[in-house]
Amino acid sequence: MSEMIIHKGERFERVYLNEPGLDLHFVQEAGSALKIHVLNIPDGVSRCRDIEISNNIVVEQTGEGCRTEIYGLAYLRGEEKVTMETHVHHSVGGGTSDQLVKFVLDGRACGHFIGDLKIAPNAQKTEAHQTNRNLVLSEEAEMRTQPQLEIYADDVQATHGASTGQLDESALFYMQQRGIGKEKARQLLVNAFMTDVLASVSDEETRARLLDTIDGVIK
Amino acid sequence: MSKTLLEIRDLHASIAGKEILKGVNLTINEGEVHAIMGPNGAGKSTLSAVLTGNPAYEVTGGEVLLRGENLLAMEPEVRARAGVFLSFQYPVEIPGVSMTNFMRTALNEKRAYEGKEELSAREFLSLMREKKKLLELPDKLNNRSVNEGFSGGEKKKNEIFQMAMLEPCLAILDETDSGLDIDALRIVAEGVNRLKTPQNASIVITHYQRLLDYIVPDFVHVLADGKIVKTGDKTLALELEEKGYEGLNL
Repeated sequence: MSEMIIHKGERFERVYLNEPGLDLHFVQEAGSALKIHVLNIPDGVSRCRDIEISNNIVVEQTGEGCRTEIYGLAYLRGEEKVTMETHVHHSVGGGTSDQLVKFVLDGRACGHFIGDLKIAPNAQKTEAHQTNRNLVLSEEAEMRTQPQLEIYADDVQATHGASTGQLDESALFYMQQRGIGKEKARQLLVNAFMTDVLASVSDEETRARLLDTIDGVIK
Repeated sequence: MSKTLLEIRDLHASIAGKEILKGVNLTINEGEVHAIMGPNGAGKSTLSAVLTGNPAYEVTGGEVLLRGENLLAMEPEVRARAGVFLSFQYPVEIPGVSMTNFMRTALNEKRAYEGKEELSAREFLSLMREKKKLLELPDKLNNRSVNEGFSGGEKKKNEIFQMAMLEPCLAILDETDSGLDIDALRIVAEGVNRLKTPQNASIVITHYQRLLDYIVPDFVHVLADGKIVKTGDKTLALELEEKGYEGLNL
């Protein structure tokens, strides 16, 4: 486990690409901002190495007015298993947290998302949002979602949503009707599903490189 | 005499085990416009779905030939590349796929099928601009996701725009007039008319005579209970408007 303190008023942003066993603990001081992207989009090489991947992210907001953004994305095939766990703890009020976690599962892959969100009794005026969306491409793939919300303050805005679905058949047919082959149409839809997680990467070059990575993996 | 483009022979089709088309026969030659009218549930949209290969429908009998080739044996995307185009009654929204990317992929797949080279980005964009003018569509739509957040009128214009880009030999317009105000209807109809050539043909599915004031058909067919029960010229549509389907003494 690595612990990192984000000091008062500081900003920290980082992309973690294919880091199995990632275990991060952030302590945020007042007015600090944290933005991380945790991406599991294994290429051919990392694919053979690690079949079971587990990512654990713990964030504690210890000062007022912190901002936390966590983005997660996993694209899994074969026998791959990824567990992503987030623990966001608002111990002081006036902070915000946004989480968007997406899984795409093919083959016999398994995805597991545990989203633990705590808002302490004195953490009033907290705004916390957690969204988990999953796309299941095969019948054998499996997704488990466990949102855990513990909200002890009353003057807060907290939302969470989870959905797991398949590719939109009507969109597939619409694309085929325009001459786009079924496989290509699937790729375009999967790509579209995944890329919006990356829209929030601040650095344009990094974003472009990640989009290329996704393109390469989907094909 | 012009060449035969499409031949539908004794076509039967069902959805979820329920027979909707019960023996449709129709021959369409190059250069012709055929209107198909009929009451709700007669099978009009089923016919367009079956011709384009929608997997929700099952063909249970008959055959369809496109320029002599077995259309029903082709995958939906192959039918499209061979020149069958459907203007959807309800165009589908595809979040995250931009109009530009979508259209470029579609056009290049068709060109590959025809043995032509891909268009360069520059050639493609200038073609988009040219065809957009035809439908009076704003350029900003290029970067938006396919049909996402488009108004009803924009969606229908966008269908005809795609038709202009792909230049099909057979265009099926499935209730393209529904949900359009009179100005949008005029723009859409003018777009369709300008795309007409002596080599292509269209099937115009509609409930109302109104559209046929703009897109003038060579033939009007009445589809009722899964069969074409009456065929006439454009005056049949006027007669229907006046007397209703009941008044036809079918």
